[in-house]
Amino acid sequence: MVLETILYIVAYPPLWQLLILGFLGSLVVAMVAIWFERKAAARVQRRIGPYWASPRLGGFINIVADMVRYVMQQVIIPNTVDRAAFILAPIVALVVSILPLAFTPLTPISLYWPVASMEFSLLIALAITTIPPLLVVALGWAANNKFAVIGSMRESYVITAYELVAVLAILSGAAATLSFNLVDIVEAQQPLKWLAILNPLAFLAAFLAVLMSTSAFPFEIPESEHEVVAGPFTEYSGVLYALNMGGAYIRRFVYAVLLSLVFLGGWAPYTPVSEGPIAGFIVPSLIVVAKATLLVLAMSFLRAVYGRYRLDQALEAAWRLAIPLALLGFGWSLALAYANVI
Amino acid sequence: MRESHTGTSSGEGWKLPGMMVRRVEREVYEIFIGPQHPGSGHMRIIVRLDGDVIVEADPDIGYVHRTMEKLSEVREWLKPIPLLERMTIIDACNITVPYVNALEKLMDKSPPPRASYLRVLLCEINRVASHLYGFGIFGVFLGHSTMYMWAFGDREVFVELAEVLTGARLTHTYPIPGGVRRDMPQDFPEMARRAVRYMRRRLEEYRKIFLDNPVIVRRLEGVGVIPRNLAAELGIVGPNVRASGIKYDVRLVEPYEVYDELDFEVPVFEEGDALARTWVRVEEIKQSLNIIEQAVDWLERHKGEPVIPKEDFDKLPKLHKEVYEKTGRVKLLPAHASMKIPAGKAIARGEMGRGEIVYYVESDGGTTPYRVRVVTPSARNAVIFKYIVPGHRLMDLPAIYGSIDYFPPESDR
Amino acid sequence: MKAEDVKTLVERILEGMIRGVEIRKGYVEVVVDLENVVEAARRLKEAGFDHVKSVTAVDYPKESKIRVTYHVSSYLNEELARVIVGLSVDLPRDNPVMESLTGIWRSAEFQEREVYEFFGVTFRGHPDLRPLLLIPELAEKRVLRKDFVVREESIYEGVPHRYE
Repeated sequence: MVLETILYIVAYPPLWQLLILGFLGSLVVAMVAIWFERKAAARVQRRIGPYWASPRLGGFINIVADMVRYVMQQVIIPNTVDRAAFILAPIVALVVSILPLAFTPLTPISLYWPVASMEFSLLIALAITTIPPLLVVALGWAANNKFAVIGSMRESYVITAYELVAVLAILSGAAATLSFNLVDIVEAQQPLKWLAILNPLAFLAAFLAVLMSTSAFPFEIPESEHEVVAGPFTEYSGVLYALNMGGAYIRRFVYAVLLSLVFLGGWAPYTPVSEGPIAGFIVPSLIVVAKATLLVLAMSFLRAVYGRYRLDQALEAAWRLAIPLALLGFGWSLALAYANVI
Repeated sequence: MRESHTGTSSGEGWKLPGMMVRRVEREVYEIFIGPQHPGSGHMRIIVRLDGDVIVEADPDIGYVHRTMEKLSEVREWLKPIPLLERMTIIDACNITVPYVNALEKLMDKSPPPRASYLRVLLCEINRVASHLYGFGIFGVFLGHSTMYMWAFGDREVFVELAEVLTGARLTHTYPIPGGVRRDMPQDFPEMARRAVRYMRRRLEEYRKIFLDNPVIVRRLEGVGVIPRNLAAELGIVGPNVRASGIKYDVRLVEPYEVYDELDFEVPVFEEGDALARTWVRVEEIKQSLNIIEQAVDWLERHKGEPVIPKEDFDKLPKLHKEVYEKTGRVKLLPAHASMKIPAGKAIARGEMGRGEIVYYVESDGGTTPYRVRVVTPSARNAVIFKYIVPGHRLMDLPAIYGSIDYFPPESDR
Repeated sequence: MKAEDVKTLVERILEGMIRGVEIRKGYVEVVVDLENVVEAARRLKEAGFDHVKSVTAVDYPKESKIRVTYHVSSYLNEELARVIVGLSVDLPRDNPVMESLTGIWRSAEFQEREVYEFFGVTFRGHPDLRPLLLIPELAEKRVLRKDFVVREESIYEGVPHRYE
C-alpha cells in the first residue's frame, strides 16, 4: 500500500515529466554528457581525463564538484550591462529549453501524459525549441561588450541557416505517418520499422541541424574561443555561466528526445504489458531516455575529431548541403506514406 | 574614444556606456585582439573590420621585449649564450649556434668534427620539437584539441631525448666557442633510433586526423596565399617562404657546421597557402629525423674524439681532464668567463625551425661585446600581418597566425 | 662566390659612390656617402639583391657618429643568394637623419622603425614611422645609445631600513 502510494506520487505525470525528467533528468544527462565528452576526448588524445576525484567511477564526481563550485562562485555583474536582460536571459533560456519536454509523451498510455492531449505535440515541441537561440542573441547584446556582440551576430547568422533544416527534417516524421501526434508516430514504428532506417536522409539532416543549433563541433562558431573570447557568454561568471554552458547540453538532450521519438522509434519495440506505473510508464520512459542519451554521447564525441568551421563555410554547408537533404528527406517521407509502408 | 567611462546600467535609450567604440569610418570598427585573449599569444593585433572582412591589421608587438641587445653589451662574451637562448627557448640550440659561430669567426677557431656533429644532432632534435609545438598551437587556434594534445605529447619524446643528452629539458646552453659542453652518453644512439621510429609512425596518424581532415582542409586551403614575388619582396623566412616556391634554406645556401656532409632534402611547395605551409613543416620533420639518424651513426663510429679543440684541452688542469674522461663533461676554466676576443665585425646565420636567424657581432677587443644585433625569424615574419591578412575574414586570422608559426617572445627579443 | 669576387662585383655596381670597401667575416661591407645612399640602394636592387636581412645601427660616441648598415641578400638569384653585402652610411651623432629605403626594399620597413626608436635616427619618407617595440615615453630616451646606462637597482631600494 505504501509502495503503491509512493509509486503513484513519483510517477505523477506532470511531476515526473517536468521536475524529475525535466530538471533533474536534464541535469544528470548534462553531467553525463560533459563527463563523456571529457573522458572520450581524453582517451582519443592518449591521456586519462577526469580520474583522481573518484577513480572507480572514472572521475564522475569531478563534474559534480564543478557544478557545486559554479553554484557557490561569486556572480560578478559589471556596471555597464543591461541588468535585467543580463540576469534574466540565461534563466529564461534554461526554462524555455526544458519546456518542450512537457509535450513529448514517454508512453502510449494516456494516464501518464503531462498534458491532456498529445494531438499536435510534435508541432508544439518543435516550435518551442526555436525560442532559446533568440534569447542567446539577446543576452549577447545585453552584455555590452564588443566580443559578445560579435558572438551574438554569429549566432543569429547560424540561426537563419539551420532553422529550416531542423523543422523540415523533423516534420518528415509527420509526413511519413500523416499525423502530428507523437504517440501515433511512435506506434507506427513498432516493432522495428524505425524511421531512421527507412529514411536515413531526413535523419542525417536532423542530426546536422541539431549539431549546428547547439554549437557542437564542428560548428562551434558563436563561442569559438580564439577570435571572440567566449562569444555571447564573455561577461558571465558563477551560476549564470553554468546555466549558459549547461544550457547547450540540455538543449542537446531535448532535441535528442525529440529525435529518438521521431526517428529511433521511441519506446519501440516494447509495448506496455499493463497499465501499472512500472510497466506502463517507467520502463518505456527509460528506453526513450536511453536512446536520447546515446544520441547526446555521439554528438559529444565529435569534439575529439573535428576542428571548427569558418562562419561562411558553415552557412554554405547548411544552405547547399543540409537544406536539399532535408527537402529530399521530406519528399521521401511523403513517398513512404503514399506507399503505405509505415 | 569612449562615450562614457563610468556608465550606469541602461537607462538612457540605446546609448551603450562602457563599450569602447571608435568610429573610424562609416562602416569600419576596430577591435583589439590583445594580449589578454585566448587566441593571440603575447602580442596585440589591432584589427579594423568592415562587417566580417578585415580591412587593416596592425601588429602591435613589443609586449615581451626583454632588451637582449642592450644586455649583451654589458655581459662578458660567454654570458649572452643563455641569455639569447631564452628568445625561443623551445628551439634553444638553433638560436645559440650562430652566435657561437660568429665568435668562432672572430677568434679564428673552429670546433672539432665530433663537436659539430653533436651540435647538429641537438639542433635537429630541437627543430622537430619546435615544429611539433607549432602544430599544437595551430590545432588550438582551429579548435582541434586532439591535434594539440597529440603534438605536445609526442614532443615530450624529443624533449626527453634532449634531457638525456644535455641534462636540461629546454634550457640546454650546449654550444660554447670551440665545442660543446658535454659528450653523448653510451645508450643515447639506441634511444634516438627508437624515438625516430616512433615519430615516423605518428606522422601517419597526424596525416589522417589533421592534414586530411575535411574541415581543416576547408579552412586552410587558399587562405593567406603569399605569391612568390611578394614573398621575396617582403623578406619573409622559413617554411613560409619555402611554401611559396622559393628554395632557400641556410643549411643549403651557406652550410654551417657539418651540414654539407649530411644528406637531406629541402621540401618546397608551390601554392603558398596555409595548407602548403603546414605540409612543408611535416616534410621537414621527416628530413630532420633522417639527419638525426645519420648524425647518431657517425657519432657511434667515431668514439673517443674530443669535443673541444686540442689546444684548449691541453691547458686544462689534471682534475678537469679526469672529469672529462670519466663523465664526458667539460669543465671550463674561470679564464673562459673573461676571455677577450680580437676586434672585428662578423655576421653569422643559421636556420631555426621558424626560419633564418642573423647575428651581427662587433668586438672592440674587450671582454664584453661592443654590439650584438640579432634578427629573429619571427621579427621578419611580422610583416605578414600587415600585408597579407587584409582582405580575409575575421575567422581566417587564427588560421593565418598559426600557419606562419609566429612566436611573440622571439619577435620581441 | 669568394669574398674577393664579391668585392669586385660590388665595386663594379657602385662605381663612383664608394667611400670604402672592406671584407669582414661573413659579409662584405661598403661605405657610401649620405647623399648617395638611395642611388646605391637602387643599383644594388637592380643587380639582384632583393631583400634586407637586417638594419643595424652602431653607436660610436668617441668618433661622434652612428653607422647604419643594411645587410642585403637575394632570394631569387641563385648565385647572389650565398652572399651578404652590407651597405653602410655614417650619420652625425647629434642629428641623425637619412632617407628611408623602404621605397626600394619593403622588407626594411619594420626594422627601420626599430632603429628609429632605439637610436633616434629619423628616416625621411618612411610610410609609418612610430615605435615598434617600446612605448613612446621610453623611445624618447634613445635606449640603445652608449650614453644611456641602465641603472641596476638593489632589491632593497625604497624599503625603509630598520637598522642603520
